Amino acid sequence: MTTRLRSRAFLICFVPFAALLAFAFWMTQNLVQSAVREGLRRSLRLNQVAVASIHKKSDLESSRFLKVAGENPALKAGMQLLLQNAGNPAARRTVEDQLRELGEHMGFDFLLVSGPNGKPMAGVLRAQGQLAPIDVSQLQIGSANLLQLRGRTIQLASVPVDLDDANLGSLGVGEFFNFSEFTSPAVLVHDGQTIESNLSGIPAGELDEALAACDGKQECDLRLVGANWMSLRVQSYGSGYDLYILSNVDEATAPIQAMLHSFFLILAPASLLLLFVSSIIASRSIVKPIAAVVDRLRDASLTGMLPEFKGKPSSILEIRALTENYNRAAVSVREAGEQLESAYLEFIGSLANALDARDSHTAGHSSRVSQFSFDLGTALALPSEQLERIRIGALLHDIGKIGVADAVLQKPGALTDAEFAQVKEHPVIGKRILEGVRGFAPFLNAVELHHENWDGSGYPKGLAGDEIPVDARIVHVADAYDAMTSDRAYRKGMSHERAISILLECSGTMFEPRSVNAFASIPRAVITRHSNPATQQDAPGAPAQAAAK
Amino acid sequence: MRLKVSIAVLALSAFAICARAETISGTILIKKKLTRRSVTPAVSVYQRGTEVKLGADTPEDPLVYERSRVVVYVEGPIAAPAGVTPDLPPAQMAQQDRRFSPDLVVIPAGSSVRFPNMDPIFHNVFSLSKAKSFDLGSYDKGDSRTVAFPKPGIVEVFCHLHPNMAGTIVVTPNRFYARPDAAGQYHIPDVPPGQYTVVAWHRTAGFFKKQITIEAGHDASADFFIPLEENAK
Repeated sequence: MTTRLRSRAFLICFVPFAALLAFAFWMTQNLVQSAVREGLRRSLRLNQVAVASIHKKSDLESSRFLKVAGENPALKAGMQLLLQNAGNPAARRTVEDQLRELGEHMGFDFLLVSGPNGKPMAGVLRAQGQLAPIDVSQLQIGSANLLQLRGRTIQLASVPVDLDDANLGSLGVGEFFNFSEFTSPAVLVHDGQTIESNLSGIPAGELDEALAACDGKQECDLRLVGANWMSLRVQSYGSGYDLYILSNVDEATAPIQAMLHSFFLILAPASLLLLFVSSIIASRSIVKPIAAVVDRLRDASLTGMLPEFKGKPSSILEIRALTENYNRAAVSVREAGEQLESAYLEFIGSLANALDARDSHTAGHSSRVSQFSFDLGTALALPSEQLERIRIGALLHDIGKIGVADAVLQKPGALTDAEFAQVKEHPVIGKRILEGVRGFAPFLNAVELHHENWDGSGYPKGLAGDEIPVDARIVHVADAYDAMTSDRAYRKGMSHERAISILLECSGTMFEPRSVNAFASIPRAVITRHSNPATQQDAPGAPAQAAAK
Repeated sequence: MRLKVSIAVLALSAFAICARAETISGTILIKKKLTRRSVTPAVSVYQRGTEVKLGADTPEDPLVYERSRVVVYVEGPIAAPAGVTPDLPPAQMAQQDRRFSPDLVVIPAGSSVRFPNMDPIFHNVFSLSKAKSFDLGSYDKGDSRTVAFPKPGIVEVFCHLHPNMAGTIVVTPNRFYARPDAAGQYHIPDVPPGQYTVVAWHRTAGFFKKQITIEAGHDASADFFIPLEENAK
């Protein structure tokens, strides 16, 4: 997978911190939640202690009362009466009346006397604030301390009543199970069934199910109507009666949760934004210098030029090293190019020298033609690249003479037709030689066509007028001029003025008139500074023949 | 000894002027409330429920009520004057609304008291007093028991089943007794002349005695201040 350095740097900066932030949020929330839960658990346990102490106190009170009530002679007399007159409603009423009075004094909600066989005989129960007699014949009193009576739960305590070693039965007193004692939600359960609870809005079935899932554990976490609760069994009354107190965890954590949420809602976007911005800045500061180098390299690949970095070096060590190395590389590449170019030029120069060296009479011919062509091109106001091309083309224009036999070239006398035909081959030979060398293509015109005449009488192709490239026209003029002004074994070179006049004569026939005129307009001193000292004086000779060489 | 002498004198004088009899009258003055309304005290120490409504004061003036609780009688056996009804119908102390009603009955020695049960519940009547001790057992509504009181004295009666029930039967030695009216005035008519000890009794305050002499043709008077002092009995 390829990614941009910028996005990668951004991601490396951004992602770990974003993850860290999210983790911190999650962790804090967890810590707070567990702290709140621990607090709740502690408060539940405190509740348990409170409930236990309430029960203990009430048990103590009941037992104290029961001890006194069990020795109450009036009650004993009443129970005796009841035993003797079993089934007598007046006797039952008498005892009920006694119980009612006892109960009203003591604030009990339920009083019951049972016979020695445990069978309930008479009882009163609080209804509408008043103790009223109830039918006890169907009442089943188990061993539990809790009793379900007429939809109410009663906490029961009992004491045997004895008279002179004979047991008269027992007295039981009870109070309604009071949920108002519990400041927290409480549930009374009998054999897994909710009997009473002070929880509102929770279906009893769901409560049973949730508590059943606790499986009798002392402390338990449970879910009720989509909320998390915590339960603690605080009291067991025997015979499957258990009292649980509950606490709504969600409700307790809600305010803190909300606070945390609002805190993080402010903090998280702010820090994310900060992180985002700093990541962008970081990635930019990393990528920017590298990108500059990359852009420079891309430009270099497009232009072929390899410019060095200028300006203040970067403050980053690595980037500075990179630019320095780049600059060094750029310098060495440029130097190598320049060396290559100069080697190439030297090669051309040595080729031309080798050519000139074959004939001492033509020594320096190539370089002089090159100079004259350059001067003429300058006079014609040609562009600098073309001037350079013409200069080198002129230097090589006679390279084809390598393929002409020395005997022909150095023959002092006039040439035979066959010999002349051999000489006339040299532009084509030169073209063939240079064709194989890459980079010499621009000079082929000057080499191949520098003997074409303006009127079409030249060789090798016999081109005329505008068909002849400008390079060839210029080299033609310069070549003719040098041939005429150079000394030969068989004659002396003619004077500058003579040569110019011959050029002007042949203008329009052999030479392009514009080039000749331009050449003629070049000051004599400019031309002659390249020439042999011999060319200072006039010399006889056929210009046409000299030019043909 | 002195009592015997006085009795002898009285007897003699009674014989001497048997046709004459005068009235003892006087005023009972009570300056403070003495009677505590009955509650069940035994368990109130442990009271923790709704407060039990104590018996309210009678709507009448408490001092008037206190005066009505006083019995005035003449000590010593005095034969009833001739022509005065010899036998009274038995007095009655009913059990109603878990109270003895009335809770103060005055009878001369030798008479009886009926104890009918008017409540729909069982009641019991017993007494441990020196003058007469008895236990009538428990009985239902409509039942009634009668007890004779041959000896003079104060007889306190109770109910086994209802400890807060209490009644008093004052058995006087003779027929010369009275209970003051609302103003505290009392009259004991037809007392033969002689020297007597007049006794005023209040359940809480106790006995108050006064010596008087009744001369033929002259009414006598004996006023009582009950109680005279803070802790007087």
